[in-house]
Amino acid sequence: MSLGHLLLVDDEQQILRALRPALTAAGYEVATAETGGEALAHLASEACDVVILDLGLPDMDGKDVIVRIREWSEAPILVLSARDLEHEKIAALDLGADDFINKPFGVGELLARLRASLRGRERRFSAHAVFRSGDLEVNFATRRVAVMGEEMRLTPREYDLLKTLARYGGRVVTHRQLIAAVWGPAAQVDAQFVRVLVAQLRQKIEEEPSTPKILLTEPGIGYRLTPEDDA
Amino acid sequence: MARDWTFSPMGLRGAWRYLVAFGFVAMSTAVAEVIYRVFQTDRLSMVFLAGVLVSAVTLGPGPAYFAAAIAFLIYEIYLVEPRFEFALTSAEDFLVLFVFLAVAVLTGGLAGRLREAQRRAEARARTSSALFRASEEFSASDDEDAVRQALAHRIAEAGRQAAVFDGARWWTAPDGVEPPEQLLRAAGAPVTQVATRRVDEWRLRPLRADDQALGLAAWRSTERLHPDDDERLVEVLVDMAAAAVARSRLSGERAEMEARVRTEQLRHALLSSISHDLRTPLAAILASASSLREFGDRFDAAVRDDLTLTIQEEAERLNLFVGNLLNMTKLESGALSIEPVVFGMGEVMGRVVQRLGKRAGERELVAHGGEALLALGDPILAEQALANVVENAVRFSPNGARIEVSAHGVDGRVVVEVTDEGPGVPAADLPMIFEKFYRSQTTAAGQQGTGLGLSITRGLVEAMGGEVDARARTDGRPGLLVALTFPGGRP
Repeated sequence: MSLGHLLLVDDEQQILRALRPALTAAGYEVATAETGGEALAHLASEACDVVILDLGLPDMDGKDVIVRIREWSEAPILVLSARDLEHEKIAALDLGADDFINKPFGVGELLARLRASLRGRERRFSAHAVFRSGDLEVNFATRRVAVMGEEMRLTPREYDLLKTLARYGGRVVTHRQLIAAVWGPAAQVDAQFVRVLVAQLRQKIEEEPSTPKILLTEPGIGYRLTPEDDA
Repeated sequence: MARDWTFSPMGLRGAWRYLVAFGFVAMSTAVAEVIYRVFQTDRLSMVFLAGVLVSAVTLGPGPAYFAAAIAFLIYEIYLVEPRFEFALTSAEDFLVLFVFLAVAVLTGGLAGRLREAQRRAEARARTSSALFRASEEFSASDDEDAVRQALAHRIAEAGRQAAVFDGARWWTAPDGVEPPEQLLRAAGAPVTQVATRRVDEWRLRPLRADDQALGLAAWRSTERLHPDDDERLVEVLVDMAAAAVARSRLSGERAEMEARVRTEQLRHALLSSISHDLRTPLAAILASASSLREFGDRFDAAVRDDLTLTIQEEAERLNLFVGNLLNMTKLESGALSIEPVVFGMGEVMGRVVQRLGKRAGERELVAHGGEALLALGDPILAEQALANVVENAVRFSPNGARIEVSAHGVDGRVVVEVTDEGPGVPAADLPMIFEKFYRSQTTAAGQQGTGLGLSITRGLVEAMGGEVDARARTDGRPGLLVALTFPGGRP
């Protein structure tokens, strides 16, 4: 039951050693690379369905690796990064990375992000009609939003925000991407507007708006929905 | 200003020139007398004309008229018949007088203009050479006080008492004087444009550049002694000094900013190094532990064993790093107090080898020679210091290499040497490897450490009264030798 070919790029041996067994056990065919050069060489010669990329590589900037990969590959890229490097992560996402995960992380979290990345890329461009995550259900065709089966009335902006997050299927969406999707690509809107809108939306869809379970904050970067159920 | 004072009648002033003119005429008279006696001729007006001509050429208009007048008188009285009697008798006499005066006027005026032109040329040369020297002097200095001092000197050399104000104090040439009180009050008035103001004999010109008030220059000129041309020179000097002060201020600010940037970079390097060195082992531990929980039953024994080994190794690495961080903090804050005790170096070496044996992997890590040696210090800190050196050796040595930790006594002290088979360190870099954040340029980036370990080692060893040294291996093989010297202990 192969989930696909996975390339794991990190210059720290012990990280490769720690991740490889779990990724293999989860069903990926794992290849590893310790430098950006090795990673690009591997991608040029071997099929690859998803890339896990550490941004701190010895031979080149991880962001440059993303740019180079994106020149010819649409494979989802999941970035490993330190928590305090928001700018790095935002830049990586802007350059075409699909999602990120903060070090240190548990493999459960990593595998969930991998699934979301692999699925999210399809979903964003498909006409997949319904998004389900926990108690939340978003029907894109009818524009209906339901929490625990109970239909919610959302304003157009709230719906646009939720739809955008759902379209990304559990992957992170940056403030800028959200502003472009909700207010339009040319809008001069502060991230504060997004925060206010998210707070409104949480009042409606979260059981406990102060401790959100569905609409999660990625501090300094953006928001994500809890990944879709594996049904 | 060094000025050439060789004799030149041009340089003479006032009455002296008339005296010289008189001398020229007297010489003409003497020559005329000789010719008169020898050749018995009184057609000698030409001789006196020569005297007038020489006076006019060398002394200018005034003395020339004077020479013409007395030459004519002497000629009339002394040579023209009847001799020794003044009588304008013939038209010829008037002609002589007219010629003398005409020569004096024309030649004197011409000589005067020539002299004036020469004086201007000299002044211009003096101006440009003074400006050139001043500009060299100003640009050679990055210190604005030195520029002010140099300006005061330059103006003083241009023949004026001068002082330069920087807003707080006056700078003067050695024999200079500060301007009087009322001048200071005038200086206190806000100056918004660059112009020279006169207060009595003093002239004040603000030092201004790029709309910055940089002080004030004051000098004392008298119109009689200092023509306006030279005042322009002083003004240009002042403006040049203002530009130099502005530039030195700018470079001072730049240096300050660069220092701030360097501090900031160091802090950033420290933070990112700590962040990386704490997170990497934590990430490996968390990933391994969560893998075991999630998939433990699906892993075979070898995989499970490898994951638990990773957890143990990374926890030890974390421990080493946290210990280093604590020690570094203590070293930097001066809070590291050492209660020296006598300890066996062999035990310390053994613990280090044991601790790092697993990290060494396929490298051979051996210790010998320390069994009988007693050192004085803190055994735990000594272990940390040595562990950092061995960890470094492991990091830079290829698989299969041999890392040797050996100890011997020298002059009652204990020397521990760690030799590796890594790429070594360029000789020029050897003194730097104990500096904070020094990282080797010659090795693959993946092997890079944090640049903290060896600096902490030095801090610890020196705190115990020892010293550190690094050199290339002397047995001809590539690699680095790091020696830690500890004070010896007696049982």
